[in-house]
Amino acid sequence: MRSNPIYKRERTVGSRSIRIPMILTVFNCILALAALLNMYSMVAQVEVTAEIQYSAFLELYVFGAVIAFVMILFVMPALTAGSISGERERQTLDLLLSTQVTGLEVAAGKLMAAMHHVILLFVSSFPVMAMSFVYGGIRLWDLAFLVLSFLVAALFTACIGICFSALCRRTTMATALSYGMLALFVAGTYGINQFIWSMANVENVSYVNQIGGMGGQVNSGGFLYLLLLNPAVTFYEIIRGQLGRQETMASVGQWFGGRPDNPILGAWVPVSLVLQVLLAGVFLAAAVWCLSPGLPKGRRSRREKGPGAAK
Amino acid sequence: MLKIENLKKTYGKHPALDGLNLTIEKGALFGFVGPNGAGKTTTIKILVGLLAPDEGTVTINGIDAGREYQKIKGLVGYVPDSFGIYDNLKVWEYMEFFASCYGLDGLVARRRCTALLEQAGLLDRADFFVDALSRGMQQRLCLARALIHDPELLVMDEPSSGLDPRSRTEFKELVQELNEQGKTILISSHVLSELAQMCTDIGVIEQGRMVMGGSMKEIMERVDQSNPLLIVVRGSLDRAMAILRSHSCVRTISIKNDCISISFTGDSQDEAQLLQQLVDAEVPVTRFYRQQGNLESLFMEITDHEDKEVLQYEVKPDL
Ligand SMILES: Nc1ncnc2c1ncn2[C@@H]1O[C@H](COP(=O)(O)OP(=O)(O)O)[C@@H](O)[C@H]1O
Ligand SMILES: [Mg+2]
Repeated sequence: MRSNPIYKRERTVGSRSIRIPMILTVFNCILALAALLNMYSMVAQVEVTAEIQYSAFLELYVFGAVIAFVMILFVMPALTAGSISGERERQTLDLLLSTQVTGLEVAAGKLMAAMHHVILLFVSSFPVMAMSFVYGGIRLWDLAFLVLSFLVAALFTACIGICFSALCRRTTMATALSYGMLALFVAGTYGINQFIWSMANVENVSYVNQIGGMGGQVNSGGFLYLLLLNPAVTFYEIIRGQLGRQETMASVGQWFGGRPDNPILGAWVPVSLVLQVLLAGVFLAAAVWCLSPGLPKGRRSRREKGPGAAK
Repeated sequence: MLKIENLKKTYGKHPALDGLNLTIEKGALFGFVGPNGAGKTTTIKILVGLLAPDEGTVTINGIDAGREYQKIKGLVGYVPDSFGIYDNLKVWEYMEFFASCYGLDGLVARRRCTALLEQAGLLDRADFFVDALSRGMQQRLCLARALIHDPELLVMDEPSSGLDPRSRTEFKELVQELNEQGKTILISSHVLSELAQMCTDIGVIEQGRMVMGGSMKEIMERVDQSNPLLIVVRGSLDRAMAILRSHSCVRTISIKNDCISISFTGDSQDEAQLLQQLVDAEVPVTRFYRQQGNLESLFMEITDHEDKEVLQYEVKPDL
């Protein structure tokens, strides 16, 4: 396979722009600031009580991981939503597609460029993250697993961004829709469970009142499994697993009314990671479909009429 | 070389192309002319594989563009109506990037880029950022870029719009040079006269259909035939009108501001005779001439159906 020309160009251009260094700086500043404050308070505590709380290092690890995760969710759509619509706005997309570059290569090149930046983000934050790793009882294996989940989350959000970028004519619209879609996956799946569960509770209570006895357990039913597509829940489960059982974090299976154990609940993290990768593939395929020249009748005209078409 | 048959494309309900037929021979420099919105860009986009037609076929060198568009892309070079300039890329990187889009890299790509930049007169600007170039240079860069894979057919969509006369001339020379080197070229424009000087063939498109086509020579013959004879007379027109009405070669007569415009089917000898006749009848003729070989008026005549009558009067006598 020949090297992807789009990816190559993105690297050249990326090395010239201030954007990536800015993101790296902001990210590492936040992380370092948190770590330093954490250390400072710890030292202050040691001075008073002469006692070192190793769990504070664990807190630092969790804090760093949360920041990194939130950063990915916020940065990736911004990085990718303009990737293809930006080409369209500069009127270079037609140029690209009139060459022997395929739609798949364009989308893949953009994805690779975005992932490149995320990996850069991880690598640059390793020194700060290592602080918690030295003292905090986190194993290398744990860290590797965390990074894997970050990569999946990054892939997932990047593919959403690229999909809308290919679909919309304007970058602003693509950005808005990408964040909207992401919110749907992160907050929407949670919200719908909350809603279903409270509805079920209301029904249960009125039922209990009618028969005048004890009601059974209610839960949000099959809607819980929508959370498999929620990267934030996957992240939560990983952190929960790494902190150990003594913590007060409830597993997903206990959320929204709880339910008996089953294989999916047992293998929540791997199942959700696989599902998210698959869904990312679907988004990417949609983007490629938008770029393919053998387009079905009328599709392009609909798209070129404006961003409203993406709804 | 290129054959377009019964091409149809509708945007929503609005037909942009309505059964377009077009043939271009190898080695031709084809001028594709039509007013704005006639469907030039749509045709060209289909041609380069960016748009799928609803109906009809495009074949280039016997290859069906609808089915094997990836192959077609290797045969066609495309210069769009917008430049398609990447900021943040240098001229050299720009060329190398598009070379790699065709799978060319290493020494082959470098040689090719050098040769093309040289031909476009941009070799000394290779280290400039693309968006720092002047419009004329950007246009030439775009042309060089479209030739990176040595295509057999070069398609240009309104390439000289927005250029100053000087860069326009330079660009034209470059295009002609390429044509002489054996490239088949299709160049679109909404200004016919712009293409008239360099093209070997012309096709006029109007509302998604070809309304006129042929070699430059055929077109020019038609132009001469279709141009009106203009006569300006001092004072009363009555005597002149009487003579004109009785003349056998005169088809129609129209008058505007003392200028009589007649469509006259005769040759130059008939014209001389008519003038003699007028002078003999003591008509004070101040001007008597065939309107200049103006492609534009023919173009207007073909493409502007409603305003036809008015246009006949709006002739400025330029001797
Ligand atoms: N993306 C589009 N959506 C809807 N209508 C379009 C689109 N592109 C072109 N058209 C219409 O198709 C017709 C032909 O357009 P075009 O090929 O761009 O003409 P030209 O290039 O000759 O000026 C025009 O009437 C235009 O309004
Ligand atoms: Mg056009």
